[in-house]
Amino acid sequence: MASAGSGDEKAAAAAMITLISSDNEKFEVTEATATLSQTIRHMIEDGCTDGGVPLPNVTSKILARVIEYCKKHATAAAGEEGSSSSFSDAAFLEVDRAFLEELEEFDDAFLEVDRATLFDLILAANYLDIKGLLNLTCQKVADSVKGKTPEQIREMYNIVNDLTPEEEAEIRRETQWAFE
Amino acid sequence: MAPVTRGMRARAAASLDRIPHDALFEALLPLPARELCRLRAVSRAWSSLTSDPAFVGAHSASHQGPLFLARFRGDRARVYVIDLAGAVLKRLAIAGAAGLHVQPTRLPLACLAADWNASCRVLNPATGAVRALPPGPAPEHRNRVILRDPYTFFALGLVRSTGQYKVFRMLNQLGFLDGGEQLFEVLTLNNGSNDPIIPSWTAQPKPSLCIEACTGVVVDAAVYFLVSRGYKPVTLHDAGARSDHILSFDLATEQWRRGTLAGPIGQEIDGAEDFLKRRHRLGLAELSGSLVLVYKRREEVFFVMDMWFRTGFENGGWEKKYTLQTQVIAPIADNLDHVRPVLVLDDGRLVIHEAQVGVLIIWDPRTNSFVELRRLIDSVGVFTGSLLSIQ
Repeated sequence: MASAGSGDEKAAAAAMITLISSDNEKFEVTEATATLSQTIRHMIEDGCTDGGVPLPNVTSKILARVIEYCKKHATAAAGEEGSSSSFSDAAFLEVDRAFLEELEEFDDAFLEVDRATLFDLILAANYLDIKGLLNLTCQKVADSVKGKTPEQIREMYNIVNDLTPEEEAEIRRETQWAFE
Repeated sequence: MAPVTRGMRARAAASLDRIPHDALFEALLPLPARELCRLRAVSRAWSSLTSDPAFVGAHSASHQGPLFLARFRGDRARVYVIDLAGAVLKRLAIAGAAGLHVQPTRLPLACLAADWNASCRVLNPATGAVRALPPGPAPEHRNRVILRDPYTFFALGLVRSTGQYKVFRMLNQLGFLDGGEQLFEVLTLNNGSNDPIIPSWTAQPKPSLCIEACTGVVVDAAVYFLVSRGYKPVTLHDAGARSDHILSFDLATEQWRRGTLAGPIGQEIDGAEDFLKRRHRLGLAELSGSLVLVYKRREEVFFVMDMWFRTGFENGGWEKKYTLQTQVIAPIADNLDHVRPVLVLDDGRLVIHEAQVGVLIIWDPRTNSFVELRRLIDSVGVFTGSLLSIQ
């Protein structure tokens, strides 16, 4: 990892991006980290990142978490690129596997957040178009929904039931098989 | 305006209502159809998202693996949707389903019918909607069939050019053993189950030869049959036909196609063996969109099944793609008809049904190994629709 990262660091030193949260906090990140977001990648390509990138939809608290995720996964991406040129032996595969396990542990720990934060992360991942983070957070929601009744889900996620009693009865009749 | 308390703000922050449509789409996509149908009762947004054709399409595409419609031995009232692991996903109670088999289709709809019953039901496994088709014959066939005890055959097909489903049926005039005739009818299903007009059967012409009704199979909106060897007065020999000759009825034009399609093995088997001994059986199947001639026989201790695929129709040929030789499936000689290839899976394995024991198995032709999918299945078809579909 370290050797794969060293070349990147040199290049990255020349290209730092400033991200500005909704509460006006500034975050300096490498281009490699920032471009995990397709939204920011397009802004860089269009050359409109001078003076920082304002992100009016993301608070500093959430942006810090998102950057934490991107840093970790940007290193992972750099490691994958390095693998084809510099290493091809079993020793590297061993390192690679260890790193993937570490990444998985990181992701699990990263998701240990309350629901409000989880939804903020989903919104940020959606807005910034970070596919990996969106998949990760959405999977967490999917797992939490499994095996629950509609009532439990409404309760758990504070969802207002806006169906009329007639509509709900109709839906339940149509989907009776799924409740058996 | 009511004051906004800290608690209210916290609840709102943790409400899934905040999640944009796209993200909810992503979040719900990994869930199985059964979970999603249950979640339709959560709220209007969840109901409309999980019923949206874009979502239903994405869900079908990301949840690999075919679904089967099956009737289980001993359960006279229901049809089951099962997956490739043999797990039951859905049970559908069907009024009047006793004695009806799932016909071997590979469509988003299914057809339930029997060999000795003029009634037939068309089922939408996604919605559970059932349409009972009228048993009464077309006006031209009135007084020519005895509906109390008819010998019947039904086939459901989809005419892709018009999007219409059609049901083809054969009825036998009583006394067919003494040279009675086969009568053919077609019924076009009107779209939408709320249509008050009940469709009726229209009489169809007869082909040049008698057909072996139980061999009927639908491939791309045409119904194919082997010619019959049991009818008088025309014996196959007299008509210049072989036992692997095939007739076909085009559901789009509602015409029998001209001439017969000759199978690849008639010369060999007709000469070599006495039909009355019935040491072998021919059948037809639809696999991977092709018409397949299935040649089944006993060879010493083995059951052998050759599957000849038709390649092209007008000037095409036959290619023997699979030969199954096994003792795992062991129908006794008189029951060769009970074995039928059902589906070729994406990974190259074949699903085979043996109706006597009622076993549905997956055969890997590369290793000649078997995996039992489910037991006690009397009849089975393939369901290509989505359980999320509401139409």
